[in-house]
Amino acid sequence: MSALQGTAGLPPPRAFRAPVSRYDQTSALWLLAPMLLVLLVVAVFPVLYSFWTSLYDLKLTRPHRVPFVWFDNYLVIFQDPLFWSSVWRTASFSAVSVAAIMVIALLMALLLNEEFRGRRFLSAMLLVPWAIPYVANGLMWKWIYDSGYGALNGALFQLDFIDKYMVWLGDSHKTLPLIANAFVWKEVPLAAILLLVGLKSIPADLYSAARVDGANVWRRFAHITLPSLRPAFMLVAIYETMMAIRHFDLFFILTEGGPAEASHVLAWHVYVETFRKLSFGTGSALAYIIALVTFLLAFSLIRALGRRL
Amino acid sequence: MARIRLQSVGKRYPNGFSALENLSLEIEDKAFVVLLGPSGCGKSTTLNLIAGLEDVTSGALYFDEQIMNVVPAHRRDVAMVFQSYALYPHKSVYENIAFGLRMRGHPAADIDRRVKDAARRLELEALLDRRPHQLSGGQRQRVALGRALVRQPAVFLMDEPLSNLDATLRIAMRAEIKQLHQTMQTTFVYVTHDQAEALTLADQIVVMRDGVIQQIGSPEEIYDRPRNTFVASFLGNPPINYLEGMLTEEGEALCFQRGSLSLVLPHALALRLKGQAGRSVKLGLRAEEVDEHSVPRPGETLHGRVSSVLPVGSDQYLGFEAEGKLLFFRVGRDLRHREGENVALSVNVNRLQIFDSGTGDSLLWSGNGA
Ligand SMILES: Nc1ncnc2c1ncn2[C@@H]1O[C@H](COP(=O)(O)OP(=O)(O)O)[C@@H](O)[C@H]1O
Ligand SMILES: [Mg+2]
Repeated sequence: MSALQGTAGLPPPRAFRAPVSRYDQTSALWLLAPMLLVLLVVAVFPVLYSFWTSLYDLKLTRPHRVPFVWFDNYLVIFQDPLFWSSVWRTASFSAVSVAAIMVIALLMALLLNEEFRGRRFLSAMLLVPWAIPYVANGLMWKWIYDSGYGALNGALFQLDFIDKYMVWLGDSHKTLPLIANAFVWKEVPLAAILLLVGLKSIPADLYSAARVDGANVWRRFAHITLPSLRPAFMLVAIYETMMAIRHFDLFFILTEGGPAEASHVLAWHVYVETFRKLSFGTGSALAYIIALVTFLLAFSLIRALGRRL
Repeated sequence: MARIRLQSVGKRYPNGFSALENLSLEIEDKAFVVLLGPSGCGKSTTLNLIAGLEDVTSGALYFDEQIMNVVPAHRRDVAMVFQSYALYPHKSVYENIAFGLRMRGHPAADIDRRVKDAARRLELEALLDRRPHQLSGGQRQRVALGRALVRQPAVFLMDEPLSNLDATLRIAMRAEIKQLHQTMQTTFVYVTHDQAEALTLADQIVVMRDGVIQQIGSPEEIYDRPRNTFVASFLGNPPINYLEGMLTEEGEALCFQRGSLSLVLPHALALRLKGQAGRSVKLGLRAEEVDEHSVPRPGETLHGRVSSVLPVGSDQYLGFEAEGKLLFFRVGRDLRHREGENVALSVNVNRLQIFDSGTGDSLLWSGNGA
């Protein structure tokens, strides 16, 4: 093989690089200025301002006295048992939802990656939940779960699975799973599409090579499909975890945190503190805690999943 | 060890496109067979049928005496090297090479020994822990070869394995593959559209066009006795030149006549063209079959004008206007003709090809006994 080494010593061709001059950077800044300004007003300022607010004991019930309390709001939050129980509920809601989303979306994507009659129609149908706004989705599930005229009751009753209509959302053991179900229904399409893109980008030759190498369909799935989907899985896991942790709409529309505190999650906790108790200081502090948790989670997921990309 | 037999094999793709029709081919055990043809002629399809990656839609495929039509790819004892290499991107070089053995349940010690043997053979030992994306094109290519040869398959299939390499490496790998065939003692089926590759590697070349086999033969047969103008044009660089003309009888001799050009066909050719005088034919003149040094003799002379001189290193290509056509010849680089000069070239009449001017079939071709 010594003849093969003949090309090793050649220098690689130098990549062409456009010169970067001061002039370029200045004009680039000017061109970006309008957008930067918009971002400053709608993103950077509110973020900083809410952090500032979280350091005050700002209650709209007594708007004239707003003492600066350093990190007292954070201490108050951490001493509130309701906060900790809502953290626990959020965690279980998110874990269950994200796991279900990943599994169902993967099955969907695998199905839609095959050629069969009606595939296009099914793909279009899949997009429907995605196109529905969160609030509309909430109202739809409120109707489905309704204790008096809900579709779920109707279907189960007619199929003889139940002998009387149930107050589904009133059962504190069922509330979170039912809300998770509505959330999963809404989130699966996007996740499935992201995974489908991942599937489509796997070169067909890899499967041919594995077949010739003697791998049956399960081993091809385990040795090619799953590892190739790792980046898409990571994306879906991070995105959906963030969506689940911060999710508010369904809790607001379906249960308002109830019954009792059965669906009192973090996002709902923020709402109650801020807009029911009108305590903007603790509300802002809570929002910051959620942001931090979300960030840390995303970061550790990227670390965990991304290591062997 | 396997002899491969395709019996009237047809392949129709699900979209209705018929890529192969009624293809019959026998590949001897331990042969090196090259499927040669332009892009889209059905070479890969044929290879995929042998590998079991595509299903035969009509006819029969045999390995030795066993019919293989419905045996799935992972149960056939074949290995394949792909043009894209198709290395598993998430596995190390070691695991890429070991994969086929693992899937077939070889014991770990055996796998380790074989992978290391293959790595040594292909000089991949230092790269076993790398991932494919950390390798150069040539190294990937060798991993792909290693993955195939480690299994010691009965049939070794290669689909344009060298076409992604640069020219130098390609030549070196040709030699490597040829040597591999000699040491492995198994049947090789090799697909390429590169005639030079085919001529170097093959025991047998199968020239294909639009899903139909044009000719099967040794490289010499294919080059020296092409069955039709398609085969003749596909091999040779620069390609063979054609001149339309007539076969005429002049006294005892049979001649090719076109305008002022008259070439006397040698006895051996004339014998095969007995009774064909008066027929309009297409003369095939290979680019290297002219001699600018010897003094042209009557009946072997081509008069014309040099229209261009294109040096290509060791040789030069000569653009040559004769009888109202532009021909290309390959001549030695010591030739000092200038553009615009009028020249008489000596034609090697023993190597002329004569084709039917309508069908393009060779009039000299008479099956195996040529
Ligand atoms: N999966 C397929 N479906 C339909 N037509 C195909 C498919 N694969 C190949 N073909 C067609 O079959 C013909 C032969 O293809 P192929 O065997 O890949 O040619 P080659 O390898 O000689 O370039 C081409 O015209 C190609 O377009
Ligand atoms: Mg091909």
